[in-house]
Amino acid sequence: MEVQHELASGDVRHLQRCINDLVSLLALPAIWSGGDPSQVLHTLLDALMRMLRLDLASVRLTYPVGEPPIEIVRFAELRRPVPSAHEICEALSQCFKNDSRKWPPVLRNLMGEGDISIVPLPLGLQGELGVIVVAAERTDFPRQTEALLLSVAANQASIGLQEARLLSHQKRVASELDQQVAQRTAQLAAAEERWRSVYENSAIGVALADLNGRFLAANPVYEKMLGYTEEELRNLSFFEVTNEEDREPTQILIGELLAEKRQQFQIEEQYRRKNGSLMWVRNNVSMVPGTERVPRFLMALSEDVTERKQAEENLRRSEAFLAEGQHLARVGSFSWRVETDEITWSEQLYRIFEFDEDTPQTLERIFSRVHPDDIQLLHEMVERARRDGSDIDYGHRLLMPNHSVKHVNMVAHATRDRDGRLEYIGAVQDVTQRQLSEEALSKARSELAHVARITSLGVLTASIAHEVNQPLSGIITNAGTCLRMLAADPPNVDGARETARRTIRDGNRASEVITRLRALYGRKDATIESVDLNEATREVLALSLSELQRNRILVQQELADGLPLVAGNRVQLQQVILNLLRNASDAMSAVDDRPRQLLIRTDGDEDDHVRLIVKDAGVGFAPQAADRLFESFYTTKNDGMGIGLSVSRSIIESHHGRLWATPNSGPGATFSFSIPRASEGATGAESNRDIRTPDVTDAA
Amino acid sequence: MELRQERRPAERPLVSVVDDDQSVRESLPDLLCEFGFAARVFSSAEELLASDCVEQTRCLILDVAMPGMSGPNLQRELKLRGQEIPIIFITGSTDKTVRPRLLEQGAVECLFKPFSDMALLEAVNSALRPKSDRNGTS
Repeated sequence: MEVQHELASGDVRHLQRCINDLVSLLALPAIWSGGDPSQVLHTLLDALMRMLRLDLASVRLTYPVGEPPIEIVRFAELRRPVPSAHEICEALSQCFKNDSRKWPPVLRNLMGEGDISIVPLPLGLQGELGVIVVAAERTDFPRQTEALLLSVAANQASIGLQEARLLSHQKRVASELDQQVAQRTAQLAAAEERWRSVYENSAIGVALADLNGRFLAANPVYEKMLGYTEEELRNLSFFEVTNEEDREPTQILIGELLAEKRQQFQIEEQYRRKNGSLMWVRNNVSMVPGTERVPRFLMALSEDVTERKQAEENLRRSEAFLAEGQHLARVGSFSWRVETDEITWSEQLYRIFEFDEDTPQTLERIFSRVHPDDIQLLHEMVERARRDGSDIDYGHRLLMPNHSVKHVNMVAHATRDRDGRLEYIGAVQDVTQRQLSEEALSKARSELAHVARITSLGVLTASIAHEVNQPLSGIITNAGTCLRMLAADPPNVDGARETARRTIRDGNRASEVITRLRALYGRKDATIESVDLNEATREVLALSLSELQRNRILVQQELADGLPLVAGNRVQLQQVILNLLRNASDAMSAVDDRPRQLLIRTDGDEDDHVRLIVKDAGVGFAPQAADRLFESFYTTKNDGMGIGLSVSRSIIESHHGRLWATPNSGPGATFSFSIPRASEGATGAESNRDIRTPDVTDAA
Repeated sequence: MELRQERRPAERPLVSVVDDDQSVRESLPDLLCEFGFAARVFSSAEELLASDCVEQTRCLILDVAMPGMSGPNLQRELKLRGQEIPIIFITGSTDKTVRPRLLEQGAVECLFKPFSDMALLEAVNSALRPKSDRNGTS
């Protein structure tokens, strides 16, 4: 109405200006768009100063509560010193208190000299945003239009500030959001990196494939395992790298994954590498469920188990070897837990006992096979084993259902488990064959001994004849001479007496030869007695000396003084010595470039043994033939029968001794035997030493 | 005795005996002396070769098997030295195949111990005859 009144007053220019100002004020929000509150207030104050020719304009923005207020002041050009915005605002606030709505519309003479009209304009509906204060020294301030403009300006400012506030808030929220996004992105990247690292550095191969089994990705282990690059793998499928034989089962299992009958499966199968070789893998294949973006796919975790498979294979082979070895050696193994009488048998042991393999083994069942004569002993052995856990080494017989007899040897060692319980682990060997062979061998040996004796006798006969013929020759010559001397005229009695004496002496000599022969061959029984090995050796030497001399053998004797007696059969031992001498002599029969030296020596060995050695300078033998020398019919001599040494060895072994041969460092060989000395106080046939006597004495 | 030949000692032909057996060395010289020969004994071939008797020996009674040089070896050695002494081998061996071999090698006789005094005398007499007269008369 007052506008109409002014219009009515015709002050068109004023109105025009007023409308212009109003338009300017209404245009302000467009300028403010995107600005912050301080910018809004600055432009507003500048606009008001210009439009209303104000002397002072100030604003104090107190919103939002808690933040420092924004205080701005504008002055017209004044001569007076200008106080700071803060000072003015403080002063205004103290005057008007905080509630700007209760401020008087016009104040006068507030500060300094002269009057000034001041108009406070609350911001916000209830002044909650702050207050704008404008002042002019004009007395007509504010006029009606000016008040209207101020009111519009305050409203515009309130709206602008609200918008700016909103915008700033939005910006802050947006920035916070961006920050959160960035943080989350970084977290995801780290997680992704971790997973990738796991994937790439995993000890096992990882491969991803689509539902047809075609590779999507594979980690370096997987690629290295198969020798393909990832690129090459992408052109292949699971099935193509799987060994032909294993494809079908894999395909069936993957079918079950696709049909969701199972979520995963494990399989050990063979892969074929790029280079064609086969390897063993342990695969764990699972179906990875799809997401919105990623369709479901297959994942295989593949572990190279080639080495383990090989080890398993080796184990299987060695088990097979063991079983085969047990079979060939006729050895079965067993374990026996003494406390519970749990018995485990190897396959071969069942076979030896001829038991059905399916039935568990019990002591009763085992005893049912033991030969009735051995049951008592076996019971005792079991009881002793239970008592003291001592090792078992025992031979006994089995009586089989078909009444055949088997000989077995059992050895077992006791161990204790962690709880101290006793367990025997052992082996049983079927020695029936060996037993039979040994019996046959023993028989063959005695036959050989017989042959050897006949053979030595044949050679000896000539030697003996020579030995006896020497003195006989002397006797006959002497007797002839004697007769001639007595028949002479006059008879040569002294000469005859001398020749007669020589006749008697030679007769005695012949008799001695016979005595020695009787000593060597006259005994019928293989009695065990205490034998002086030196004396026995001298007798043999005396009998063979002429034969040795004929063969131009130089015999050197080194018979030890005080040699202990040995327990044995004198005749058998002399046969051995004779054999060794003949052997040495034969070995040197072709030697012409060096003396045919033969050394026979006796001495006390360590361990209460007495040793005799015969060393020759003959052809010797190759070291590798050392054992074969003692085999029957093995001979280095063209005309020898090769049985002497084997018989000699069996004789020495029956005396609990040892006979062996060593090549000399120079030419020839040395044969030695060593037998135990007679025990203290043992004399003649009283000796109870057990000597298994080869059947050699009935050859005479 | 008709076989006894009465000679003065210096005229007696020398018969040498080589044998490693003492009985033979002791008994044979007496018998040879009874037969009217001079006799020398040696225990080995080497001993004979080392002596000064080889030249004078008219007949050699030689053992076959001896330590060191054997009888047949001595025979060969003497032949090499140009000493053609008639040899009568004696042996304690029972191997009868030895005799023909030794005779073939030029021995006058081979006697197996023990031999009789007559066999020895016949052999020595045969040995002392000129070589051309020997065969058939012994």
